[in-house]
Amino acid sequence: MKQFLIVSFLFVASYGAFAAGGAPCGDYGECDSFKPKLNNIESLQLGALTFINHCYGCHSLKYSRWGRIAKDLDIPEDIFTNNLVFGTNVKLGDRMTGSMKPAISETWFGIAPPDLTLVTRLHGSDWVYTYLRTFYEDSSKPYGVNNMVYPGAAMPNVLASMQGQQILSCKDVPIIASNGGVRRDEMGNDITEEKCGYLKTIQGSGTLSVQEFDEVIYNLVNFMTYVGEPSRSDRERMGWYAILFFIVFTALSYLLFREYQKDYH
Amino acid sequence: MEEKITTRRKVLIGMTSAVGAVGASLAVVPFIASWNPSAKAKAVGGPVKVDVSKMQIGQKIQVSWRKQPVFVIRHSKEALEGLSQVESKLDDPSSLKIDEPYRDVNPTRSTSTEYTVIAGVCTHLGCAPKYYPEMESQPWDESWVGGFFCPCHGSMFDIVGRVFKGVPAPTNLKVPPHYFDGSILTIGEERGTA
Amino acid sequence: MTQQSSGFFNWINARLPIVNTYERHLSKHPVPKKVNFWYMFGALASVVLIIQIVSGIWLMFGYENTEEGAFASIEYIMRDIEYGWVIRYMHTTGASMFFAVVYLHMFRGLLYGSYHKPRELVWVFGMTIYLVMMAEGFLGYVLPYGQMSYWGAQVIISLFGAIPYIGESLEIWVRGDYYISGATISRFFALHVVALPLILIALVFMHLVALHEVGAGNPEGVDIEKYLDEDGVPLDSVPFFPYKVLNALVAIGIFGIVFSIIMFFFPEGGGYMLELANFEEANPLSTPEHIAPVWYYSPYYAMLRAVPDKLGGLVVMGAAIAILFVVPWLDRSKAASIRYKGILSKIAMTVFIVSWLMLAWLGTVPVTALRTNLSIIGTIIYFAFFLLMPIYTSIEKTKPVPDRL
Repeated sequence: MKQFLIVSFLFVASYGAFAAGGAPCGDYGECDSFKPKLNNIESLQLGALTFINHCYGCHSLKYSRWGRIAKDLDIPEDIFTNNLVFGTNVKLGDRMTGSMKPAISETWFGIAPPDLTLVTRLHGSDWVYTYLRTFYEDSSKPYGVNNMVYPGAAMPNVLASMQGQQILSCKDVPIIASNGGVRRDEMGNDITEEKCGYLKTIQGSGTLSVQEFDEVIYNLVNFMTYVGEPSRSDRERMGWYAILFFIVFTALSYLLFREYQKDYH
Repeated sequence: MEEKITTRRKVLIGMTSAVGAVGASLAVVPFIASWNPSAKAKAVGGPVKVDVSKMQIGQKIQVSWRKQPVFVIRHSKEALEGLSQVESKLDDPSSLKIDEPYRDVNPTRSTSTEYTVIAGVCTHLGCAPKYYPEMESQPWDESWVGGFFCPCHGSMFDIVGRVFKGVPAPTNLKVPPHYFDGSILTIGEERGTA
Repeated sequence: MTQQSSGFFNWINARLPIVNTYERHLSKHPVPKKVNFWYMFGALASVVLIIQIVSGIWLMFGYENTEEGAFASIEYIMRDIEYGWVIRYMHTTGASMFFAVVYLHMFRGLLYGSYHKPRELVWVFGMTIYLVMMAEGFLGYVLPYGQMSYWGAQVIISLFGAIPYIGESLEIWVRGDYYISGATISRFFALHVVALPLILIALVFMHLVALHEVGAGNPEGVDIEKYLDEDGVPLDSVPFFPYKVLNALVAIGIFGIVFSIIMFFFPEGGGYMLELANFEEANPLSTPEHIAPVWYYSPYYAMLRAVPDKLGGLVVMGAAIAILFVVPWLDRSKAASIRYKGILSKIAMTVFIVSWLMLAWLGTVPVTALRTNLSIIGTIIYFAFFLLMPIYTSIEKTKPVPDRL
């Protein structure tokens, strides 16, 4: 029994060790939470528009087809073709293989921009949502920007005109005492210290406010989450029917089982 | 121990089996549906465009749509006028037996007054018929008036793909959906459905 | 009509014993009348086997076993094939559920001494099934050719390199290339879809034939063959049909609920069933930060990592599986079921379960010094449970096993 207790203690202790490991969103720490709304067609449409206008120039969605997006996002085909599909040779059944040749982009960025079809499944939507909002000005980098989630990312902040200038700044934060409360001086004022590494957007430097920009990114990541698994909303809808079916089936077969159990009980 | 079949048991067995059967038939749906052409196959099988302005009078070209031959024939006026004369040899001159998409529009059976667009797939067993336009005696028909002959089983069709009497093929060659935009022929969709 | 059809079946049966076989293995097969839910996992395992075979065949319609095409073909199945995602998630969920069900089935065996005389061979066949399943699962995981497929396979195949003298050439021979390439994928594909399933089905057949020869056990460890009625049927048994079929139906219903919840709402299983790194195509030049096996291998992977020696790790991992085969001869207890065994067995069982679960968790997380020590403790407990079994099962005082169920 003692052994059992030791093992359980170590078990719990090592869970704590795990929680203290590397943060999922790099220098930013925990990622901002992202809850997709895959049934919000308008959000998906706006996200698709942002993707095509700002991302598709460099990044492909090569496992996805144009026509599938038009159909799933309720975009009439002629509107879709005229406003989203650039390139007259593109057919709706084609895959979205990108508009840039890998060789060219490699000379531009030093690395071929990755395909983004599955990026939300690989890193998680939270990660992508946080990543796109944590570019900051850093003149030591080739594009003049760095990223908190993915330091050294070889990508310019393509949405900078909307977001405006974002910089790393310092601010005074209250010191938290060991008992969990804010430490105060004799006069009862909070004792503060200066901490750095906070993102700050310079007001008026972009075309959108912080909330508006977050919404643009929300829609974009919502769309990318959809592209990562286009059947997801179907899947969850069908799931309820499947579970309901098995509940009914279990109930009926249990009644039948109880009925026949009388023969030998 | 004796197994008794009471009414309660019968009802429960019936209900459980019915629910089980419904579940089983729904579970089969994905397995059956997944055999349909995939999005990839549908994309490859999308409409094809071809410029027919360079075709000679009387010429036949073959276009591949869904990896199946589609014949496009440019007829002379004389040939089209002669169509009514062969009707006695035909099994179904007005294409009543099949779902003809452009019935009674043009003698060519297409949406054009000059070009015929037909699927090059024999309605008998799927071979591709060959085109013999000349009006001359042929091994299979001494009074051949020009048209299609299928080498597999000897079915005969006229120059717009209507089947002859007394051949194995049951119906006329099919007309695929198509439209003309000037001299650009699009096979695989109707006008305005794009 | 009845007479006619029974005449027909008699005619067939005289030439091909279908009626006899059906009665012997299904309809009249006597099963202990009192069993608990632990006895349902065998039936569920055969249900999952069928799910895996059917969904696997359907996946083959879309899968491409080439280096260039494998990864893209998975997305083709997920997107371009109608309901392809249903079939794929069914197969991936099925793989995890297969192991879950088999682990619970094996644990039932340990708990109630299902390997006791005369069921030793049933246990041995079962363990062989488990071994083949592990190979089958590994091969299947390589096929999507994602990052985790690649690097997982790289790690496992490198284990062959630990074998003295022939190791390195054996690695190359297994891969058929200098890295895990199209050559590796196509042979793994053939093994995964044809060779191992054939072996698996043959083994399941043997497992069942052996089981039906000696009869199913029960949680009391009572030998029901002692008291028979005038027809030679055990008094404490009921025929399989309809009584145990109904048991199985309830179990299948509950299992279906669990299966649907996972398949439709958590197909990635939080990254333990479909690892997130596998959503990136294999790149032989870049290792993901953290390589972890899927959950069902993780206890053995933790043992592998606990040993600071390549060959030693392989030997320990192999021994951990091998020792399971000889359990019927390690248990010297007079009582089969834990219910009538002594206190030592109960303590040993509890400690074993806790350490197994701990190893399972350790195998999925990155290494730290503390965790390595925990893995060593877990490995020692794992082996101690089996190696000390002859001692603690023979010295402890067992309770008397009843005569009747």
